[in-house]
Amino acid sequence: MKRTVLLVALTVVTLVASACGRGDETGGGAREGTEVESGKASGEITVWAMGTEGEKLSVLAEDFMEENPDATVTVTPVPWDGAHSKLATAIAGRQTPDVTMLGTTWVGEFAKTGALDVVPPDLVAEDDFFPGAWETGVVDGTSYSVPWYVETRLLFVNKAVAEKAGVTEPPTTWDGLKQAVRDLRERGGARWGTYLQPGQMGAWQTFMPFVWQNGGEIHDGERFRLDSPEVAEAVAYYQSFYDEGLSTRNRLREGEAEPKFISGEIASFVSGPWHIGLLDELGGKGEYEVWPMPSGSGEYTSFIGGSNLSVFENAKNRDGAWKFVSYLTRPEVQVKWYQTVNDLPSVAAAWDDPVLAGDPLLATFGDQLGVAKAPPPIPTWEQIAAGVDTELEKVAKGTTSPEDAAKAMQAHATSIGTGG
Amino acid sequence: MPARSGTLARAVTGWAFALPFAALFLVFTAGPVVASLAMSVTDIRSADLLDPLGVNVVAFDNYARLFADPKFVQAAVNTAVFVVVGVPLTMALALLVALGLNSGLVRFRTLFRVGYYLPVVTSIVAISVVWRFLLQPDSGLFNELLGLVGIDGPSWLDDRPFALPTLIVMAAWRNLGFAMVIFLAGLQAIPKDLYEAATIDGARTLARLRYLTVPMLRPTMLFVAVITTIGYVQFFEEPFVMTQGGPLDSTLSLAYHTYNQFGFGNYGYASAMGYVLFVVVVLLSIAWFRLLRNTHEQ
Repeated sequence: MKRTVLLVALTVVTLVASACGRGDETGGGAREGTEVESGKASGEITVWAMGTEGEKLSVLAEDFMEENPDATVTVTPVPWDGAHSKLATAIAGRQTPDVTMLGTTWVGEFAKTGALDVVPPDLVAEDDFFPGAWETGVVDGTSYSVPWYVETRLLFVNKAVAEKAGVTEPPTTWDGLKQAVRDLRERGGARWGTYLQPGQMGAWQTFMPFVWQNGGEIHDGERFRLDSPEVAEAVAYYQSFYDEGLSTRNRLREGEAEPKFISGEIASFVSGPWHIGLLDELGGKGEYEVWPMPSGSGEYTSFIGGSNLSVFENAKNRDGAWKFVSYLTRPEVQVKWYQTVNDLPSVAAAWDDPVLAGDPLLATFGDQLGVAKAPPPIPTWEQIAAGVDTELEKVAKGTTSPEDAAKAMQAHATSIGTGG
Repeated sequence: MPARSGTLARAVTGWAFALPFAALFLVFTAGPVVASLAMSVTDIRSADLLDPLGVNVVAFDNYARLFADPKFVQAAVNTAVFVVVGVPLTMALALLVALGLNSGLVRFRTLFRVGYYLPVVTSIVAISVVWRFLLQPDSGLFNELLGLVGIDGPSWLDDRPFALPTLIVMAAWRNLGFAMVIFLAGLQAIPKDLYEAATIDGARTLARLRYLTVPMLRPTMLFVAVITTIGYVQFFEEPFVMTQGGPLDSTLSLAYHTYNQFGFGNYGYASAMGYVLFVVVVLLSIAWFRLLRNTHEQ
């Protein structure tokens, strides 16, 4: 009995093993999407969305169904925690919805599986979107997803501390920023002039803008460029904030930074638009301002993130799905979405609406979005970024030099490759 | 004939009763275990989801790469320290508490029993919130107490030498309740007349503990040791909620590293890591069985 089982198992293993093997890589060259038929959408459209977006998307879905009476949109909210593995499972089991929301850094990975449909050429116009946002959906020259909402990082500054320190104008250069942060600490009376995340998960989002501001880049299309002098200089600049006692070397836990910022203990920090809501809720409304990022030797740029919308290749209702995506990127719908969940529009035209244009805090975000950048959409990015986070932690703790950190980032990235 | 059909009927009944478990076990446990063993010898990544057979067999490459991965080595060392320090610490504390509760010296025994067991059934998320408050560098209870005697306490979770020991203490506190309950049961199973005989023979408290209680508790200790070791080798929750593996990977565990690699979509590599962990668990269990084997069998 035992022997038979063993024999069967061995046969299965051998058979499976002999069936394995990668086919010739079909790749190279951009792919064109197929067009979507004109007219109103019909049939059932299934949509997955994460977090608050998932809970509130039905508001827009109802408007869409009013406009397209023959269509039914079913929204399934998916918690962020399990979203990545749920999508992976759905792809492996070929049980995908028609449309899904995707974090911008996930597009590369899922596009490589071949499960995403190419964006139809006649559906949306690339020029309508912020360029940094559009690029997050482009893998190997082919567009797999459309930006839905965006976010970018600015410096949140405590007004009272800035006033006391006599810092009235947002600095525009690296030196200016350093001096301003120094003033916030020395003359403004803050314990910490700023807070730059000292490594660990997601620290690269705070750090990478400094690389771009210095004219550096992550990948030049041929190879990684993390060991360039521009990157090392950016690391040195980042490190100097810790060495001069301007930022704490210890990571703040979730919810720790906000009260300290409002009380003036931490005079400034780098974060995205969601902090407007968080700070206002804690009673900080009107107590802070936002500064755009400075420029080093390059442009004044920041990190752009957010979420995209993709349609699966084996969607049951492909045309309906793309029509829903196209609906969600209409400027007026994007403004309504902002009013519903405070997500910032990815379509530049939506920013002309008085709802957004009238708010000075938001206007600064809008300006920054026009020049913000995203990491290249390579499938292995999350893993490479984790290597960057590790080095940043060493930098913050002072256990490595900027040159060594840059070299280690490069070595780590190269060893992983682009997964292509 | 009747005899044979009877055997058959009995076999059918037997299999019918075993079937629900066997089917579930094969589909949901054995299947994935075999599948991940197969994955561990291929270069499968998340990009291969649609075509899982379209991957290359790389034999033991993944396993070889593991030992060249500095993070894996670091995680292995951290896990080893956690197990080597944590398991004896937890068992010793649990035994101490169990002896105390069993001695009858303590009033409100039930209250204490519940108190020590409570952390076992409390969500790790709630525990982590409370411990983080206690461990706060500026205003936490621990550093306030240290401040009373003039010691400037460290930032427990952010300073490299302290992070892992802090998690070990926390894990010991969290798991001691379970071991304590088992020890209590074991202690109560020791016949009272043995103690009487020992007392008559003139054995004092320490001698009774050394020559009577501990030997009689051997099977219980084996059980607790195996269960605790298996749990501790797979040490994951504490760093996941408290430190995210930091500072500088000093609390990264094998299970956590595996979890990260799965998250990055390196399914083949992560499966190999999972198997290394599995082998370690098996070897350690065997070691415990040998170490604490009943003396009569030796």
